[in-house]
Amino acid sequence: MNAKRLGWLLLALVVALSVPVLGAGAAPAKVTLTFGVDQEVVGLDPNKVTAFSSFRRIDLLYNKLVTYDAGLHVVGDLAESWDNPDARTYVFHLRHGVQFHDGAEMTSADVVYTLNRILDPKTASPGRSYIDVIDGVTAPDKYTVRIHLQYPLASLLSGLASGNAAIVERSAVERAGDLQKTEAGTGPFMLAEWVPDNFMRLARNPRYFKRGMPRVDEVVFRVIPEQASLLAGLRSRSLDMATISDGSVVKQAQAAGTLNVQQAPSLNLRIFSFNTTRKPFTDPRVRDAIAFAIDRQAIINAAEFGLGVVSGPIPAPDKVWALPVSSFPEYHANPARARQLLQEAGAAGASFNITVSPTYEGGLAVAQVIQSQLKAVGLNANIQNVEWGQYINLWVKRDFDSMVELRGGDPDPDRFLYRTFYSTGAVNNFLFKDAAVDKLLDRGRVHVTVAERLPIYHDVERALVTGAPAVFLYTPMESQVMQTYVKGFRIIPTGALNYLEQTSVAR
Amino acid sequence: MSAFLAGRLLTLIPVLWGVSIVVFLLIHLLPGNAIQMFLGTQVAMTPAQMDELRRLFGLDKPLALQYVDWITHLLRGDFGVSLRTSRPVLPDILRRLPLSGEITLLALVIALVIAVPIGISAALRRGSAVDAAIQLGGLAGLSIPNFWLATMMLLALGNVGSIASIGIYVGFFADPVRNLAVMLLPSFSLGIALAAVMMRFIRSSLLEVLGHDYVRTARAKGLREQLVLYRHVLRNALIPVITVVGFQAGYLLGGTVVIEEVFALPGMGRLALAAIDQRDYPVVQGVVLVIALLFVLVNLAVDLTYALVDPRVRYG
Repeated sequence: MNAKRLGWLLLALVVALSVPVLGAGAAPAKVTLTFGVDQEVVGLDPNKVTAFSSFRRIDLLYNKLVTYDAGLHVVGDLAESWDNPDARTYVFHLRHGVQFHDGAEMTSADVVYTLNRILDPKTASPGRSYIDVIDGVTAPDKYTVRIHLQYPLASLLSGLASGNAAIVERSAVERAGDLQKTEAGTGPFMLAEWVPDNFMRLARNPRYFKRGMPRVDEVVFRVIPEQASLLAGLRSRSLDMATISDGSVVKQAQAAGTLNVQQAPSLNLRIFSFNTTRKPFTDPRVRDAIAFAIDRQAIINAAEFGLGVVSGPIPAPDKVWALPVSSFPEYHANPARARQLLQEAGAAGASFNITVSPTYEGGLAVAQVIQSQLKAVGLNANIQNVEWGQYINLWVKRDFDSMVELRGGDPDPDRFLYRTFYSTGAVNNFLFKDAAVDKLLDRGRVHVTVAERLPIYHDVERALVTGAPAVFLYTPMESQVMQTYVKGFRIIPTGALNYLEQTSVAR
Repeated sequence: MSAFLAGRLLTLIPVLWGVSIVVFLLIHLLPGNAIQMFLGTQVAMTPAQMDELRRLFGLDKPLALQYVDWITHLLRGDFGVSLRTSRPVLPDILRRLPLSGEITLLALVIALVIAVPIGISAALRRGSAVDAAIQLGGLAGLSIPNFWLATMMLLALGNVGSIASIGIYVGFFADPVRNLAVMLLPSFSLGIALAAVMMRFIRSSLLEVLGHDYVRTARAKGLREQLVLYRHVLRNALIPVITVVGFQAGYLLGGTVVIEEVFALPGMGRLALAAIDQRDYPVVQGVVLVIALLFVLVNLAVDLTYALVDPRVRYG
């Protein structure tokens, strides 16, 4: 009796709070775009942070000298144009009248300050390695910046287009110490409110140098770690837009029919990498055999719900540089050829570990498919499934046989390939050493024109597929799910959210 | 009583000290470190740059020295600075504490509101079909993991379009209605398992008391059944329940870790989870210490309540 009544009361309360609250508050005059993301920002100082999640806000708060458009061409951002008087000199001509969020004018002095800040070892900027070829930055006048290099480096512009090279306001950095909790940019939005792990509100910058932009008054980023919760937020219309990375949840969003799902391949690259100093991977024939044994499309279908594009060493959406995958023989799965190569190398029936992590980009599902495909050619792969922290630790120590990884690519092949596959490359955890590849990578970076560089990088790609320090698998799709009334957004393969400045909401 | 209280408070010191050592060692024993997590697998850094970062984070010192550093600062009320966000740890914890506390409290209330009446009616109808049904329901409540229940509720409510599903968190005092709208589902999914535990506990405790001689005596002297129940049975049966509630409050606080993650609530649990993931040592250490402190304080409070409810229990 009593229990019953209480039970009903409780149920009634739950139901009452669950019904949509119509007209809660009068229609706001402000146009707000609520954006669901699964990761919180680590810090906001563009010159210091490494986290991808941070860059997605930094992209909206700051500008760089140059940037990438949706077709991955370098275009001017704060620089209107630039010339190369010689291979070691760049002269940038800045836009006039660009203002920082506090109203101060952005001038060449800020650019010089920013670049020197990145180059200063004390800043510990991850962007330093992108531009450490610079041996001098000067400002001949208020709107001109002159950069001098120690040696010609073709990927300099790409380095300057990285989020780490965003131009910061000198006086603001000097006031605040660093910019981790505040910002001092020129971007389309300004930081209005930040409650960590809850939300971040960015308000429209009324002084933004691009006329008529941004098109919404504010963007509210909501941090919602669970993919299912993100979808629930979209369905209940608490969110206007969300980045969803889990393939099964993307499929559910597509099936819902009421949401608009935008997809494009990213510049990230899923690879199956080898420790080339450990048996059986010391023998290039074994690595090549595995490349022949693997059916890449099957992995995409099983592990990513079809949401990926088969790719070579240069991520597939980088159309300027990437060779079509049909030009690599290894891309037609050929178990017979794989078995034959394994026989020749004396590695038939070999056993080894595949190190993976179930979280982040650890690739557990990918490893499971690889395991079964390798079994078909007589290789016994044992999956070593570890926590993310341990995964990173093993990666840093190069303590693994093989590993499923996700690498962040770059529109410029030098930026990605040199650090990854050069014998002394900082992230060459394959311990891969190939004199021919080194020589090609060295040549590729000193030439500046695409026409000169293209044949070199095509040779690099072929050498990497055959030499196989890793089996290159695919680039995952990036998916943005939005309400049908959200217009004007476009995915850039770099993952930058620059198009939010052109996005409008017409509810 | 005050001597007892003082004694109990003194024992907190070695307990918390022990906790501080264990948590410090455990988090530092985990493979990987803050800098590795910070850089991930994408960033190219020279060994010299890595060393610079290590010095910057104070990770170049021997472990024992790092511990002494931490504990001496702690004694001065300084919980240190997060390696990940460079924000001071204590204000971050204190800002998130009310949320986790509210979920815990609401879950407890929900659990009791469900468990007490149902547990009593099950005991009074022992052996009946109603009892069997309640027992079965209790078993289900116990077996369903709360994160699964939470996800299912989210999905279901997401379909009908509800503000209760995923809202921006606001404090209770800022806007009670919106606060409850956001907090009710998480509290419910956390409280349901506890309700099942409590219900079974109340039922068996009640059955035990019902079999006692004094109950038979009370009935024999012609007391109304209602009076027997309220004055003699419930009073005695509910005393052990208080102990269990106290213990469970501590576990509920731990349970908020998962629930906060599912419902995207910025509480202490979420802070801890991210910090463990990132090997953000000062934050993990701080959160665990605060939870341990709360746990022992709740237990102390339970012991004191005990004396209030049962006149036979006396301290000091």
